[in-house]
Amino acid sequence: MLALLASLALFFLDSRLDYFKPVRSALSTLVYPIQATASLPTNFADWMGDFFQDREQLQEQITVMSATNKLQSIRLQKMQALERENMRLRELLGSSFRLQERVQVAELLTVDLDPFSQQVIIDKGNNYGVYVGQPVLDAHGVMGQVTETSHLSSRVVLLTDPSHSIPVQINRNGLRAVVTGRGLGEELQMDFLPHNADVRKGDLLVTSGLGGRFPVGYPVGKVVSVDFPQGKAFADIKVEPAANLSTSREVMLVLPGEKIHTEPLLAPTPAASEAQATAEPTVPAMSAEQETVTPAASSAETTVTAPQTQTEEAADGDKR
Amino acid sequence: MATSAESRNGFVIVITVIIAMLLMLAPLPDFARYFRPEWVVMTLIYWAMALPHRVSIGVGWLTGLLMDAMMGTTLGIMAFSYALAVYLIARFHLQLRQYPLWQQALTIFSVVLLVHLIAIIAAGPEIDWIIWMPVLTSTLMWPIMYAVLRKIRRTFQVS
Repeated sequence: MLALLASLALFFLDSRLDYFKPVRSALSTLVYPIQATASLPTNFADWMGDFFQDREQLQEQITVMSATNKLQSIRLQKMQALERENMRLRELLGSSFRLQERVQVAELLTVDLDPFSQQVIIDKGNNYGVYVGQPVLDAHGVMGQVTETSHLSSRVVLLTDPSHSIPVQINRNGLRAVVTGRGLGEELQMDFLPHNADVRKGDLLVTSGLGGRFPVGYPVGKVVSVDFPQGKAFADIKVEPAANLSTSREVMLVLPGEKIHTEPLLAPTPAASEAQATAEPTVPAMSAEQETVTPAASSAETTVTAPQTQTEEAADGDKR
Repeated sequence: MATSAESRNGFVIVITVIIAMLLMLAPLPDFARYFRPEWVVMTLIYWAMALPHRVSIGVGWLTGLLMDAMMGTTLGIMAFSYALAVYLIARFHLQLRQYPLWQQALTIFSVVLLVHLIAIIAAGPEIDWIIWMPVLTSTLMWPIMYAVLRKIRRTFQVS
């Protein structure tokens, strides 16, 4: 009887009230040793596999990896130029945008939870600053987001969970939509698009950044089938997730980039504006070159009054 | 009943329950995941049947609570269903002990079904026939489980 009452109280407290979280978190910390033990055999098997890998295999791996590394660094060279250009253009538009987020690597605990709920457990928790709602990526795309943290571990709900939706846009034409999970390892589905929506098979979907939870531009999935059922209001569009939801062992947690990035970016700005403010009145008759430069810079600053933070190099780029 | 001779080796019960929890979490190949027996419920049922004075409703409730935290279900769902299972078994433990194994297995069937039913009602509308498979596998595993746990109980003289 007591147990019944206690359970009912728990149902209520856990599902309705928010301040029950610490208890939950404490309980999760309590069971973490059991979860860690359960994942030990797999980790051990992996370790043994690494240990007894033969030389040729390793060499082959190194060759492949260095080849991909070269390829990617070549791409990255161009990427940096493009990134800079993109920043500059966006600053002209006065829109704020971060191209790069910082990530932190975490590892999955290889434990099986209920096969009907799409959740995994990772080995980083409050102790690493993981927070609820933090986006989780793998090497290929978005995996999901953190739903619950304890001291040593946290729980991640995957894209495929039926209760999970993510705002996306089509990479080809920028059409925005919402993608929802369907559970049980099935494809995702794209909701609420009318029959005349411009969606094709093979379209790449990336995060749109609306809602402010997921950063912009990470791949979510690919459209695998588009169907317009008769007599229904919306198109039936299936999406295959880009991330390897079932095989990835290492995941990346996106750190709140804005907070960390703005500090080094903000620092030069007041100094620069101060320098300009002091430079303009005291040196009215400088060389012609300098004179043409300062108004341009100041006008650039006044037109970009949006909350966007500005770097000195970017301002320089504007003038050139 | 708190004489030291009467209640001994309680840690063995705890260890079996923890092993059962590990079995609930152990990674399985994809096709086998849906057939995982309810190890923890079965362990609790055995102890509740053999030693109802040791494994009370409270113990079942606590175990369920830990399972809730582990599996990420709403706190209290498994706690409730495990407590209910232990209650039912403890209520009828004298009769259950007399039954032949297959008849016990049928009881296990109904109790695990009940536990599952509660979990499913709480989880929502997503129903698939495969969701009932653990009930069947638990029933089939019961004779083995019973033999193993009885062996453990006699070896360590848990009482």
